[in-house]
Amino acid sequence: MKELLQRLSDRFSLKEITYQRDNLIFITVEKSNVIPFITHLKQHENFSHLVMIGAVDYIENGTFQLTYLLHNYSLHADIGVRVHVQRENPVMESIHTIWAQARTYQREIREMFGIDFPGSPDVDKPFLLEGWQNIPPMRKDFDTLKYSQETYFPRSGRKHYDPQNYMKQKLYPDKEPE
Amino acid sequence: MKLKDWISPFYVWKRAFEKPFTVPKPLDERPGSSRYRGFHKNDLEKCIGCGTCSSICQNHAIDMVPVEGIETTKGDSGLRPRIDYGRCCWCALCVDICPTTSLSMSNEYLWIDTDAEVFRFIPGAENKPWDNVQEGYTREESYHIVDPERVTMEMLPPDERVKSFLEMVKGYSREQAQKEADRCIQCGICTATCPAHMDIPGYIKAVRENNIKDGLKLMYETNPMPAMCGRVCTHQCEDVCALGHSGDPISIRWLKRYLADQVELDDYAKAMLVAIDSNGKHVAIIGAGPGGLSAAYYLRLLGYDITIYEAKDYAGGMTRYGIPEYRLPYDQLDKDISYILSLGINIQYNTRVGEDITFEQVYTSFDAVLISVGLLTPYKMEIPGEELPGNISGLEVLDMVTRGEKVYFGNRVAVIGGGNVAMDAARTARTFGADVTLLYRRRIEDMPADEEEIIDAEHEKVEFITQAIPLRIEQTEDNKLRFIFGLAEMVDQGDEKRPRPVLIEGKEHSIDVDMVISAIGQGADFSFLPMHYEALFSRRNQLKIDEFCRTNDPKIFAAGDIANKTKDAISAIADGHRAAKTIDHMLQKEGI
Ligand SMILES: Cc1cc2nc3c(=O)[nH]c(=O)nc-3n(C[C@H](O)[C@H](O)[C@H](O)COP(=O)(O)OP(=O)(O)OC[C@H]3O[C@@H](n4cnc5c(N)ncnc54)[C@H](O)[C@@H]3O)c2cc1C
Ligand code: SF4
Ligand code: SF4
Repeated sequence: MKELLQRLSDRFSLKEITYQRDNLIFITVEKSNVIPFITHLKQHENFSHLVMIGAVDYIENGTFQLTYLLHNYSLHADIGVRVHVQRENPVMESIHTIWAQARTYQREIREMFGIDFPGSPDVDKPFLLEGWQNIPPMRKDFDTLKYSQETYFPRSGRKHYDPQNYMKQKLYPDKEPE
Repeated sequence: MKLKDWISPFYVWKRAFEKPFTVPKPLDERPGSSRYRGFHKNDLEKCIGCGTCSSICQNHAIDMVPVEGIETTKGDSGLRPRIDYGRCCWCALCVDICPTTSLSMSNEYLWIDTDAEVFRFIPGAENKPWDNVQEGYTREESYHIVDPERVTMEMLPPDERVKSFLEMVKGYSREQAQKEADRCIQCGICTATCPAHMDIPGYIKAVRENNIKDGLKLMYETNPMPAMCGRVCTHQCEDVCALGHSGDPISIRWLKRYLADQVELDDYAKAMLVAIDSNGKHVAIIGAGPGGLSAAYYLRLLGYDITIYEAKDYAGGMTRYGIPEYRLPYDQLDKDISYILSLGINIQYNTRVGEDITFEQVYTSFDAVLISVGLLTPYKMEIPGEELPGNISGLEVLDMVTRGEKVYFGNRVAVIGGGNVAMDAARTARTFGADVTLLYRRRIEDMPADEEEIIDAEHEKVEFITQAIPLRIEQTEDNKLRFIFGLAEMVDQGDEKRPRPVLIEGKEHSIDVDMVISAIGQGADFSFLPMHYEALFSRRNQLKIDEFCRTNDPKIFAAGDIANKTKDAISAIADGHRAAKTIDHMLQKEGI
């Protein structure tokens, strides 16, 4: 992996490198570098398998982080290619032309995070959430509790006791001398 | 009816003999992976019903409900989580936050029933096939949503401490306090254990959100001496803190101190904004310790005119004349007291009831009298030689040091006892440069003193001799005192009782010292009560008092150390508050 990293940094500008384990590193690159970098890894470095694409909402920085996890069968090693996408109007280039199955990941991310991948087949079709009206549910500003309270009814017969009040009732109830 | 309706049932029957399209259960066994988040399990013995699982659940899937056979006790609400599987999304946040680690998930994922109601269940209370499945999801040891370690409190190092009476605990900065407050999961389990039932989660939230004035006000609702309690309270609340089950309990006491320290005395009135309408009734309070002061505060807020009679020249009782300055600086105690007195309370210092004014005079000139005289008479060891000069009680030593009197400790001191008074006396003697040996009749773990006190005394190089029974004191030729003691063996007294020390006859040990300080407990002095108040007593030196602080004279009430078992400052404060409410109730209702 060391030599590989050397070769890569000769060609590309790598912003941040995290060694997770001997066979797993994460590399952050500029958004404009993602497609050439991934293409290079696939064609010249034998990272032939797209394991998955992941997304995280870093609402505090105003960005989403995408991670393309690529696997190299001969090395039994993975590289996670990371890129930050602005949260405002989030758009990322599609990689379905490099791996056809990327369309499925991209469609899911589009639905869950609202990140667009123009040109990716069926990217706007509902994936899991038919008829979803709300902001994408994996965004941190989506209020899960509020949503579930508005959408699902509690089972009948539910009752909750607040521990602090319940203990007062049981152990030191207000009493007045007669 | 149409022909088709007649035929279709037979049509279905015909189908019954064909191979079905659906796959019947059981499928071949396919267990979830070993860390799979399947159905919940809860160890009901370990769970304390703190409800944190319920508060964190983003789907409101968890209710806290009573469970038969589980009692509500201090430290356990008696409630247990009941999960509505119609709402659970199996995120496992509830498992990750559970401070006792009682909650976990099995790797079971199949549960089929035709009755939807069964899917709302109390894990652990209803037998489920997965209760004993080992595999599944538990919080990983190293993973914590809440920091398990408290923010360290800076203290003077032991060798610095013994050189002066400077306050040894430095107090939190704002960052530190907010960080510590941030650890609080707001379950409120602690409130029941606090003798004054302070709204602890409430004021910790105020620290976190930096609402200092609101926090101060909240504290005063149940405790008008937060600067004092924030330093020396016995903090029973921390013993039951939910976080203590898998890490450090919240530093509740230091957070209280932080809040009190943030507001200058001059700004208290502005923060508290109290308005008092006098109601024309007069209450006398005997004794200006925490019990008397607390009653005075709450009665004054209710509009009573208060007169406190105090034998000494300052208020505070044992928190002033007992607790040493390095634990509770006088200016901090004075801050609490000044605010209470600033509400327009009349206090007569140097006025001992029974000497400077008779009890009868007090009794007849007021609508009600609260006795809160504390425990001022040290118990005697009842051994020969106790009358020798150089043998003195812990209370007396601490009192003299407080008043700035010269005390000759000499080079070597023996302190007898295992309570807080003994520790304070021993550490005070260390501060004056003496080598100190503390002798106690039972073991260290039996000592009634707070654990921290014992540890601090050890750090300050107080030598401990345990299971030591005092036999006698003798004078040596070089004018020292020889303290002679025997050793005891601990004899088991059966389950409930603590083991009793029994003297091993025949062998005596001794140490030669310059001073013997005895601190084996203290009792009340009721000699100010004239003979005809005999009926107030249940036993000698024990007033008959009900749960509302009433005696059997409708005009006389009692609070503080003489009226409770725990005999610490916060219990005295709680008593004072209770007495105030009772006095108000009696005076308003019955017009005694
Ligand atoms: C050395 C020592 C260390 C302690 N450390 C701690 C600690 O760390 N934490 C804690 O919570 N508690 C501690 N305590 C206990 C705590 O100080 C007491 O529980 C508390 O002060 C009791 O309050 P009180 O109002 O009942 O009585 P006191 O504080 O004893 O006050 C009684 C007051 O009544 C006055 N008085 C008595 N008789 C008369 C009379 N006839 N006329 C007029 N006035 C009278 C006395 O002068 C005194 O001021 C300690 C006690 C001692 C002695
Ligand atoms: S968080 Fe844990 S200890 Fe608290 S009520 Fe839930 S299961 Fe019990
Ligand atoms: S697993 Fe998640 S959704 Fe289910 S009860 Fe626990 S916190 Fe709530």
